[in-house]
Amino acid sequence: MNQIETEILVIGGGATGTGIAWDAALRGFSVVLVEKRDLTHGTTGRYHGLLHSGGRYVVQDPQSAAECIAENRILRKTHTHCIEDTGGFFVVTPEDEGDYPDQFKAACAKTGVPCNELSIVQARKREPLLNPRVSRVFEVPDGAADSFLATHATAQAAQIAGARILNYHEVVSLMVKGSDSNRRVVGARVRDVARGEDVEIRADMTINASGAWAGLVAKTAGITVNVIPGKGTMLAMNHRVCNTVLNRCKAPSDGDIIVPIHTIAVIGTTDERVSDPENLTIEPWEVELLLEEGDKLIPGISQARVLRAWAGVRPLYQEGYAGESRQATRAFALLDHKTRDGVSGMLSIIGGKWTTFRLMAEKTLDKACEQLGARKPCATASTRVPGVEQGHYWLGHRLHEVEENRLQSELVCECELVTRAMLENAVRNNPTLTLDDLRRDVRLGMGPCQGGFCTYRAAGILQEMSKDEGRRTASRDGDEVWNVAYLQSPAHNRASDFRPPTSDLGNPNLLLRDFLQERWKGLTPILWGRQLKQERLDELIYLSLMNADHLPDENLTSPMTEFWNMNRQDAKSTKENQ
Amino acid sequence: MLDLIVIGAGLTGLVAANAAAKAGLKVKVIAQGLGALHWSAGTVDVLGYYPDERTLVEQPLHTVRTIKARPRHPYALLDETGLKDALQHFALLTKAIGLPYLGASNADANLSLPSPVGAARPTFLAPLAQLGGDLGSGIPSHGAPMLIVGLRGMRDFFPELIAENLNKQGHRARAAFLPLDLITDRRDSNTVQLANGLDDPARRSKLAAELKKLVQPGERVGLPAILGMTEHAAVMKELQAATGAAVFEIPTLPPSVPGIRLNTALRRCIQELGVRVEVNMRVAGFHAENGRIAWVETETSARPLKHRAAKFLLATGGLLGGGINTDHTGRVWEVVFNLPLAMPAQRGEWFRPGFLDPAGHPIFSGGVPVNRQFQPADANGSPAYANLWAAGGVLAHADSIRERSLEGIAIATGIAAAQHVIHASNGDDSRP
Repeated sequence: MNQIETEILVIGGGATGTGIAWDAALRGFSVVLVEKRDLTHGTTGRYHGLLHSGGRYVVQDPQSAAECIAENRILRKTHTHCIEDTGGFFVVTPEDEGDYPDQFKAACAKTGVPCNELSIVQARKREPLLNPRVSRVFEVPDGAADSFLATHATAQAAQIAGARILNYHEVVSLMVKGSDSNRRVVGARVRDVARGEDVEIRADMTINASGAWAGLVAKTAGITVNVIPGKGTMLAMNHRVCNTVLNRCKAPSDGDIIVPIHTIAVIGTTDERVSDPENLTIEPWEVELLLEEGDKLIPGISQARVLRAWAGVRPLYQEGYAGESRQATRAFALLDHKTRDGVSGMLSIIGGKWTTFRLMAEKTLDKACEQLGARKPCATASTRVPGVEQGHYWLGHRLHEVEENRLQSELVCECELVTRAMLENAVRNNPTLTLDDLRRDVRLGMGPCQGGFCTYRAAGILQEMSKDEGRRTASRDGDEVWNVAYLQSPAHNRASDFRPPTSDLGNPNLLLRDFLQERWKGLTPILWGRQLKQERLDELIYLSLMNADHLPDENLTSPMTEFWNMNRQDAKSTKENQ
Repeated sequence: MLDLIVIGAGLTGLVAANAAAKAGLKVKVIAQGLGALHWSAGTVDVLGYYPDERTLVEQPLHTVRTIKARPRHPYALLDETGLKDALQHFALLTKAIGLPYLGASNADANLSLPSPVGAARPTFLAPLAQLGGDLGSGIPSHGAPMLIVGLRGMRDFFPELIAENLNKQGHRARAAFLPLDLITDRRDSNTVQLANGLDDPARRSKLAAELKKLVQPGERVGLPAILGMTEHAAVMKELQAATGAAVFEIPTLPPSVPGIRLNTALRRCIQELGVRVEVNMRVAGFHAENGRIAWVETETSARPLKHRAAKFLLATGGLLGGGINTDHTGRVWEVVFNLPLAMPAQRGEWFRPGFLDPAGHPIFSGGVPVNRQFQPADANGSPAYANLWAAGGVLAHADSIRERSLEGIAIATGIAAAQHVIHASNGDDSRP
């Protein structure tokens, strides 16, 4: 079995885990991060993309609010190109009665969240589709964050500082030494799911940053951690109906926010306690509710085309808490298992939100330093990740670059303006196992046709690459590169570089089938009207024209195939029961 | 007064209008768009997989007889020889309009044509240009090794992928590339622009010369379906002459050049018969009197227009064509006459969890139920309106994309419905 020795082992490749790897590497530790799927496959890649100003929490949770505004200011410097400076409004609609708005204004002042009350005329001038019946509007420094890019950029920064990032490496079990009150976690046995090999990673300190999965990881060492999985469902609308984040000015509730992100707008979210962080089904009532609530912010939004629905699971944690997940604290919890459970060598970091990932990493490493007897100060607040010199992203950045450089002929995804060179460089410059990994890298398949045209093109291009360049058979160890700073930029990807691919490019028929199924999973809750017509066109293309359901290699599967087919078995058994 | 207004200008509407006009009826076609031919492979799929998606149909005209087990399937509503006659009629029609569609040499068997990913598509009739790719034994040159030629930089065709998958299925194939700038000066070309470009004799000569260098003796040559638009026959002839090889087209991602060729030829054909085809006309309302449709009203830029006729034929397509629409509450409606539909009851029953589920998604078998005369009708067979017929994708009880019967149903039911219209018109006193 392969063995790796490191000082810090980080479990989880979301915002928190990559932030911890970055922080630890900057402090000079040797670091290995393992993620069971692709980076951001968990909650980080499934949230609405809000960079909090803190406004959402000023009344209920002032400490979270203060943390948010502080981190908001830091991330705008350290992760500039991963953020769009949209600003945010808290608006009072006719449904939002009571004295909450006054409380809100006072609490903003108290917690230090900049808040400027606008006239309705000013607000509507900026957001013409905003409900004309709003009575008050407060402006706050919310923003929109590209959580895929930010996490990839953090991973690259961590790697530059010496960290190793191993995706598609799943923890089988934590390794524990000693007995009774003298137990110590000494690392983890992980499985390289792409190769089916186990690896033993020995570490001085293991940090469990696996979010909603933290309880499952801790359990392998006999430690009980009760994460409250709070499912949040979101809808992606076909149009960017607003340029400013729109929040309802009331206590947090379902469907209280619309975030403009890239070319779309996201209505979020519901909040429901669930038992399993994996198999999240989206209920029709959730979709109805989000559209209904969305109409209160932007009348008529429910008639617009919905591209997709998805759910993420908040890793909420409150020691001993058993109530509703909406009421659980949004603050994060750092569990020191030495004092809590008598197990040394391991910390768990749970809860929090994307906006505070850097702070969570800092607090976690402070604790780790204390336990390891190291004196190494945090450097993340003043270190910029690669790519910040591009400035904040903005709506037209890709179109502008495509037009300036006349790259129209290179587009393989017309919806999201992905060029062939962007796709090829994404394959070469970070580990790729599925087309879904490329979606997270360059937004492939995220637009209105939901992969209708680009799935075939991407499978064809990857097949040509594997033919031209040959498949790599050597061990992947140590060879991953996350060179992502300019991955999203058509202008910086004029020609693909000739670095050999860092991963098995896989079977094109499998890539195609998997991605079609992955896209379908997020479509069924919202297929009606024009999006249903679009989906029937996609069927015409993949069944009638391509005959893709009768391709060779029918029985091949990837580590993701089962995940994307997860609801199938359940649905079948429900049907049989009827 | 018009005898018949056909609503819809897809394959169904065009063949129905042609049949009715040929029988001497005064016909007009009004349509919102141009139908689904522009997206399809441009072949006539009659029945590819039945009774489920795992079972390949080798002889569709034979298998179709077993469809009586599903008495409401559109094919089950046809006369004994209805399907065969309609396909023969279509083959003759396409020959007459200069775009001949042919089947396998065994007239009852499906062809097996390479798809843009190199899978074998079961289809019954294909334009002459696609026939040469047959992977079965339907054509004389079957079994010959294939050279699949792509154009480097064209984003809708991947010859290496096609060749690799063909090889995996036991067919001999190799891939080669020619530069895209051989046939275009444009920076950004879709299939239609490339096809238009090859109508230029100079461009196609350049292509023929370069192609000749690639071909080895005994090979047949597959190219993306962009080999000319109006000069298609001349392009094919020149490429075959220059290479000395059988040249065939493989369909591409939409827009579909073969589909557009067929659509254009059929429209021209019915226009020559005196049929007006008015597109960009969305039917926004209708008026019925005494159980008959009196007129339909279309939206135009200036004012609503009323269209009167003795009879109406609904050929608006299903969810794909736009004849049926849905909303988030789970409501499903037929967009012109709001006809009763056969549909799954609730939105929760529309789909199965797997995109490629062999059973397909229930909503796509929904549509307008008709009686044996192809009149929208209730469960007892009583027509909704005395002078209304329906055909094609709007009909219920078939998922034509899953079973690969899209064009077969369009042609056979389009012609059958037109014949019922003609029959009803023959004894009609209201005719001038």
